[in-house]
Amino acid sequence: MSAILEVSDISKSYGGIQAVNGASFTLDHPGIYGLIGPNGAGKTTMFDIICGRQVPDAGKVLFHSSRVDGVEPYKLARQGLARTFQECRVLPEETCLDNVLFAAQSKRMTSEMLQVFTRNTKHRRDAEVEARRLLRLINLEQYADQPASDLSYGQRRLLEIVSCFMSKPRILLLDEPASGINPTLLNTLRDFLVELYEETKIVFLIVEHNMEFIMSLASTIIVMHQGRVLMQGAPEQVQADESVIDAYLG
Amino acid sequence: MKLPLSTIVTIVILAFGALAPFIFGGQPYILYVLTLALCYTIPAIGVNILYGYTGLVSLGHMGFAGVGAYTTALLMKDVGLPFVPSLFGGMFAAGFLGFLVGIPCLRLRSHYFIIVTLAVGMILFTLFNNLDGLTGGAEGLPGIPRPGNIEIGSFVLDFRSLTGFYVLTFIIAALIFGLQYILVRSDFGRSLSSLRQDESLAAARGVNVFGHKLAAFVLSTAIAGVGGAMKVLFLRAAAPLSFDMNESINLMMMLILGGAGYLVGPVIGAITFIALPEFLRVAAEMRLIFFGFVLLILARFAPRGICGAAEVAYRKLTNKEANVVRYT
Amino acid sequence: MATAILEQFINGAMMGSIYVLMALGMVLIYGVMHVLNFAHGVLFMVGGYLTHLFFFSWTGSYPLAILGSMVALAAIGIVLERLVFRALRDNLRMQIVSSLGLILIIQNGVVQIWGPHALQMRPTTVETLVKFGQLSFTLQHFVIMGVVAAAVAALYLFLTHTRLGTAMRATSQAPEAAVVVGIDPNRVYTLTFMIACALAGLGGALLGPLFIIFPQMGDAPMLKALSAIVIGGMGSVPGAIVGGLGIGIVESLSTLVIPTDYRDTITFGVLILMLLIRPWGIFGVRVRGED
Repeated sequence: MSAILEVSDISKSYGGIQAVNGASFTLDHPGIYGLIGPNGAGKTTMFDIICGRQVPDAGKVLFHSSRVDGVEPYKLARQGLARTFQECRVLPEETCLDNVLFAAQSKRMTSEMLQVFTRNTKHRRDAEVEARRLLRLINLEQYADQPASDLSYGQRRLLEIVSCFMSKPRILLLDEPASGINPTLLNTLRDFLVELYEETKIVFLIVEHNMEFIMSLASTIIVMHQGRVLMQGAPEQVQADESVIDAYLG
Repeated sequence: MKLPLSTIVTIVILAFGALAPFIFGGQPYILYVLTLALCYTIPAIGVNILYGYTGLVSLGHMGFAGVGAYTTALLMKDVGLPFVPSLFGGMFAAGFLGFLVGIPCLRLRSHYFIIVTLAVGMILFTLFNNLDGLTGGAEGLPGIPRPGNIEIGSFVLDFRSLTGFYVLTFIIAALIFGLQYILVRSDFGRSLSSLRQDESLAAARGVNVFGHKLAAFVLSTAIAGVGGAMKVLFLRAAAPLSFDMNESINLMMMLILGGAGYLVGPVIGAITFIALPEFLRVAAEMRLIFFGFVLLILARFAPRGICGAAEVAYRKLTNKEANVVRYT
Repeated sequence: MATAILEQFINGAMMGSIYVLMALGMVLIYGVMHVLNFAHGVLFMVGGYLTHLFFFSWTGSYPLAILGSMVALAAIGIVLERLVFRALRDNLRMQIVSSLGLILIIQNGVVQIWGPHALQMRPTTVETLVKFGQLSFTLQHFVIMGVVAAAVAALYLFLTHTRLGTAMRATSQAPEAAVVVGIDPNRVYTLTFMIACALAGLGGALLGPLFIIFPQMGDAPMLKALSAIVIGGMGSVPGAIVGGLGIGIVESLSTLVIPTDYRDTITFGVLILMLLIRPWGIFGVRVRGED
């Protein structure tokens, strides 16, 4: 069986700084994976490359055996790659319900333009039912008809994540989901991510700085350092590993 | 069934527009001004799609209106085509030029795109002014014919008359308005809106950002072309000054005044901008100074224009929650 | 042939100097405040009108009239920054709307006060001719180039050797950091606007007497200056200088080969090309990432 995500020998530099220097890792099976590393390790760049926001200088990324490096983000989204943003992005003027539904709407222009004539089909009614269920999952169903800008930061983070699932993605990439979330909500966030994983059983790839959060959430940790992958293993292994400890302290 | 406020307002405006020839039958001046206002409403709707919904500022849009205008005028005057094919010709010419300009320019970031639209508008104006063989140069093209009469039984619709041409312009404006409605109140409109709110997020959710921007731009230039054509048909003459930088800027200002991002924003803006000063009857400069102050106040206190202010007032009066457009 | 080229070169350098003044003002405002001020053209025009006013009604001295209009424009700059632009700092679209509103008010206000007809003034520097062989220019041509060169030098010294100037540069590069070290951003913004408006006024004061003073006199120079700062690099002072001079000279030389009517098209064509190929300009810094 081919790997779900295969990153091979990716390199990227800008302005003389080698951000990623021949990094490789493979995600074989569904699970929650954490991508960690000290500052300057290259994990943000690696994340951007997988999401299509940056083009690598060398190497390739394969998603279910098809190449995705250098492909534009919107095409990746249509292939089933969903992502969240470090600064937590939602559509501020749309209602929470519409925010969730937006992920599912067909983005092909002709069907979009004719949609005003196909408003009340069963397909759309089913979508609304599913969207409300997802809102219920994060306890935000009462905000369904309010603009997303009314929510608190933590609530928006949950909305952002749950919106991704409307489009039935095959992989979810999360960029520092715990950042800016106050400690009391972290448990809720963690439980929520676990619940979503259990329901969908896809690959979650999470870039994180918050060690406690990611170690208690992920089943596999990938450590980057100075542009390379240092090791890939279970949280306990990684935490005990000497080279990892050196990388963080050195 | 309770209708949303925007639908009620739309119906009222459409009804008023349809009945105007009867209401103002004995006052040709008012009908004249309303016709002219409609000729600006059409390109304003185009700019609304581009700016109000997609968030792209174009300060050269009357240049595209001019392309539509001259094309239609030449097709009717020199080639002798009837009205409808000529209008389509003007629309396609403007839209096609929008396509050619959009492909390289829409990838630019907002500041740069605005400047490019200024430059394109200026270049188009220079061309209108100097391609004497084609456009008549600074003097323009006089003697543009009106569409031929339509006879239904014993009823004759004479477009050389003010009332007749008003009806024609109103019908076309209503059709364009309907087009705006279909585009904007659909998933396409929501995708455009997502580009305005957060482009990166839209891309991450599968929206082809460039494709949508191009579509919005081409639609807006084609619609501007229709507006330009109607204007020169109405005035029976085409001149470069109708399509210069000041006109382009006025077009944007009309839309902002009325309320960008609202379906009726361009209608209210165009009518207010064109009709109100005519009725106030003050010197031309004073009107413009007044509008300058209106813009300053708008920019500071009511960036969503008349419609925005009305919406805020309506919400306060009825104590409603934030009125968000529902797409489902 | 060579004389024609020399003639256009000097004309171009003169007009280019005017564009430099405008461009410097616009690039300062953009670099420090990230405001695209389209109203710069009408401020230039007001400089011309005020110079005329001061020259005929107050002092018969052209230099004093220039100084007077610069001071007046600086005062106008303070008012505009405080009343109009301060509240709109991060709102690009509404800044543009405001600057367009200002254009309407100021341009039509001038017509109301002075009437639609053009004004003329002929100080001695315009009357005096300088001859090189077959060519003759007014002394004003060279006065313009000299004054602008001096202004550029003064600005350079100000930005690099004074506390306020350094504060301006710091604010343009890293606004939050500048606040942390105790620079008051409001003072910097007001100062920036003052200087930019004074420069615009100086431009109008210098060019007006050479040709004529009329309400639309700033429109084309504003667009050329805008092109200059884009081509030179949106936040770059050297870019504004190179861009302004470049446009002036190229524009002038181009009249030797293409009809004058299309002269503006050259500038805008280059502008569009620059935006498509290298939008951050000659001296600009490429900023990675999306909007």
